[in-house]
Amino acid sequence: MKLLARGQWGPGAVALSLGLFLIVFLIIPVGQVIYVAFQDPNSGALTLINFIDFFNTSLFRESFINSFYVASMSVVLASAFALPLAYFTTRFNFGGSVLIQTLGVIPLIMPPFVGAVAMLLLFGENGSINLLLGDWFGINIPFMQGLNGVILVESIHYFPFILINLSAALNNIDRAMEESAQNLGSSGARLFRRIVFPLAMPGYVAGASLVFLKVFDDLGTPLLLNINTMLAPQAYLRITSVGISDPMGYVISVILVAFSLLALWTSFLALRGKDYATVQKGGGGLMKRDLRPWEKAGCYAVVIFILLLVLSPHFGLAILSFGTVWSYSVLPDGFTLDHYFRVFSTSSQFITNTLLYAGLAATIDVVFGTAIAYVVWRTKLVGRQWLDFAAMGAVAIPGVVLGIGYLRTFYAFNVPVIDKPLASWWVIIVIALAIRRLPYALRACVAALQQVSIMLEEAAENLGAGKRRTVTRIVVPLMSGGIVAGFVTSFATASVELSATIMLVSAESDAPLAFGIYEFMQSASGRGPGAALGIIAVLIVGIATYVSHRFIERRESERTPVAAATAGV
Amino acid sequence: MTSPAIKNTSGVTIEDLSLSFGSTQVLKGVNLEIKPGELFTFLGPSGSGKSTLLRAIAGFGPEPEGRILVGQDDVTRLPPWQRNVGMVFQSYALWPHMTVQKNVAFGLEERKVRPSDIRIRVDAALKLVGLLDLAERQPSQLSGGQQQRVALARTIVVEPRVLLLDEPLSNLDANLRVQMRREILELQRQLALTTIFVTHDQEEANTMSDRIAVLNDGIIQQVGTPLELYDRPANRFVAHFLGTANLIEGTIRKTRGKTVFTAPDGTAIPVEGAGLKSGQDCTAMFRPQSLEVLPRGRGTSKRTGELPGTVEHREFLGHLIRYAVRVGKHVMLVDETHQSGEAAYDAGDSVIVRLRKEQIQILQTQ
Ligand SMILES: Nc1ncnc2c1ncn2[C@@H]1O[C@H](COP(=O)(O)OP(=O)(O)O)[C@@H](O)[C@H]1O
Ligand SMILES: [Mg+2]
Repeated sequence: MKLLARGQWGPGAVALSLGLFLIVFLIIPVGQVIYVAFQDPNSGALTLINFIDFFNTSLFRESFINSFYVASMSVVLASAFALPLAYFTTRFNFGGSVLIQTLGVIPLIMPPFVGAVAMLLLFGENGSINLLLGDWFGINIPFMQGLNGVILVESIHYFPFILINLSAALNNIDRAMEESAQNLGSSGARLFRRIVFPLAMPGYVAGASLVFLKVFDDLGTPLLLNINTMLAPQAYLRITSVGISDPMGYVISVILVAFSLLALWTSFLALRGKDYATVQKGGGGLMKRDLRPWEKAGCYAVVIFILLLVLSPHFGLAILSFGTVWSYSVLPDGFTLDHYFRVFSTSSQFITNTLLYAGLAATIDVVFGTAIAYVVWRTKLVGRQWLDFAAMGAVAIPGVVLGIGYLRTFYAFNVPVIDKPLASWWVIIVIALAIRRLPYALRACVAALQQVSIMLEEAAENLGAGKRRTVTRIVVPLMSGGIVAGFVTSFATASVELSATIMLVSAESDAPLAFGIYEFMQSASGRGPGAALGIIAVLIVGIATYVSHRFIERRESERTPVAAATAGV
Repeated sequence: MTSPAIKNTSGVTIEDLSLSFGSTQVLKGVNLEIKPGELFTFLGPSGSGKSTLLRAIAGFGPEPEGRILVGQDDVTRLPPWQRNVGMVFQSYALWPHMTVQKNVAFGLEERKVRPSDIRIRVDAALKLVGLLDLAERQPSQLSGGQQQRVALARTIVVEPRVLLLDEPLSNLDANLRVQMRREILELQRQLALTTIFVTHDQEEANTMSDRIAVLNDGIIQQVGTPLELYDRPANRFVAHFLGTANLIEGTIRKTRGKTVFTAPDGTAIPVEGAGLKSGQDCTAMFRPQSLEVLPRGRGTSKRTGELPGTVEHREFLGHLIRYAVRVGKHVMLVDETHQSGEAAYDAGDSVIVRLRKEQIQILQTQ
């Protein structure tokens, strides 16, 4: 068998360069981290001694337990937020379902550590809520004390993953599934327990394991809340304070990766062979029930309570960014625009850096994503699945781990012209962001490619267009909706990423928004400007999402005839 | 289930049933009397309200006006789970998280049947549909035909009073369709279970049904046996829906004891006179196979029932040849059986079309 058939040299070269990129910037750095974790620091021999040391140190044992506890409890609390919202909006005729679902996703567009400061001011020991509770009932609830704070902030931030997955699962249950059960004599709670719940379970597990993974890996939130006894902060602190050669940072990294893989594996198992998308023609969605007035009132009360809670970081941040002094009081003493002026006059480089980095990273992601999608789905290149596999593998690599890997691998590598290590050049931040977001962009591109019928390509080739021209003139334009969606997801999430960036920023002038916010939030006087930066970050992400939404909508409506005619192929 | 006949099977009576989705009325005053043990079919084009009517009997969809009785019981206000009316969904609706065995056991579990009895009855039902070997499979591991059988077993195992089937064959390929048709019919006979079958396919309806109700636009057009509907359709819609039909509008003339149907273009066809009044506007209906094509040569006939015409085109259908013959201003379809070697008429040939009066059905013009 020939390795490359005729007409495959072009895709072959593309695939090779993509592979090289992934090897250099993902596989080698992560491999380095794993290798060092298993290496005796003195002799260099392979050993388990570092892991034994890790579990013999009480600080690390505590950190491990804390991380596990926080991640688990965050899943529980996030479920408590997501379940009612998903259930009410999919199952009852409920005014404002779309609005509720939309508001329910907003928490995702702000980095959790940004919300953390606002949450301290609202729910902390001397925050607004506790001041009011103290006045009214003489009680003080430790919402934000120690690990509680991390759990609350993380679950508010990540619960939309459960909401989205669970709602999709519930909406994918064909009503005939329920009707046939009713027809056989089942109703009410039994029907729910035996039919609806099991059918929605895979969606829930997928969302829940994603929450677990994200919380387990998160660095910014515990750092900002000053909780150091968790795994990610320990890894960060070891590397930044003890040094790049201390093996503990690497051991922790391996544990983080292992748990990420475990969470992904769980979600894979939950979904495997359970393609429960049971919607058939003419069906669609659960049977929706009308609510009695008092039921409706109850549901709305629950929904509004949850929405207020999960949106409180945004409210708090907005108040903080406009407030003068805010401590030991329910609201700030006065309101001002000063923080915004200060941010724009002295710290605008954070904003421009972010736009530059996130823009570049997202561009890399969609270009590579499109290329990988095409190579994997439309060519017969040997080993093409490995490309997909490697790119998707980045999902399992926490930002801290990638950051450590880059420091370790690229510190010794001097970039020729500017004469400084690659690990401290701003370009490395862009690459880290691109690698981290590549899986999401890739999935968007694959989905878009699958919408483009292969017949459209064949028609172009039949009319004399070569592979390259077919791709650029037919495939890519038809994929544009998905590509834009991928770009925006990458851009939006990259612009608020902290965990990899915090390790790679070597000069304030190179720092992006997330880093700037983190720096500001370290001091009480910096909170106002930090919050203003946070609001700006939220606006950037929000506007990007909105614009892309409009763009995709317009494309869709223009292309409906083509899409309809070719979708069935 | 030694003798599988279901004992408590009942007829269904529908009285003045109307039903609307919001402001669009989908069923308009339906009246039906379905006898116990009968295989009854709702036949009609897509969107005519067949599924809506069937679902109303099972208790799904908006609350209707009128009454639905199963046996003597008025079930109009009962929720679906209290009706004991078994329904097989068009999509089968097998629960993907349960094995075949669990799917079939579901209804019995809901009825709090003893576990030991559940086993016996589930096995019996699966045996009845020939799937006992596949009891431990997941539904996704079954072919379309097998899924269909599981859906049937799941429904009949609870011994419903009536079996409702919504286009049960529409998701199967052509060969399987014919086979399942027989199996369902056999099962229905064996169980002697009142069955209502929904389809838009007249062949399916004709081959399976004891009686058919033809639906159009939410209104019952006619109820009868397949033969009755084919030979004596009540209106143009039924005539067309049950097969190819020639339909000509005109007037009845009675002169000197003879009754003649006359179209505006002068085409005159003798018909049986009973029950017809002179001057009455009506439509003459006759099937293509009721006509004969004869060569014109032997002195243009003016005998009754023979009309001169010209062949416009012909279609070779294998066992027969279908001619379109222009007679006056009308084009009539004529089917001639085909024997091998037999010559055929060509387009442009002058011919005579012969029509026997007992084959003509006079429909009232609405
Ligand atoms: N859930 C519904 N909401 C609104 N209109 C419906 C609904 N279900 C059916 N209809 C309408 O009722 C009419 C009859 O539908 P249906 O009973 O499904 O027809 P059939 O089964 O004969 O094809 C159609 O015009 C259809 O559009
Ligand atoms: Mg239907």
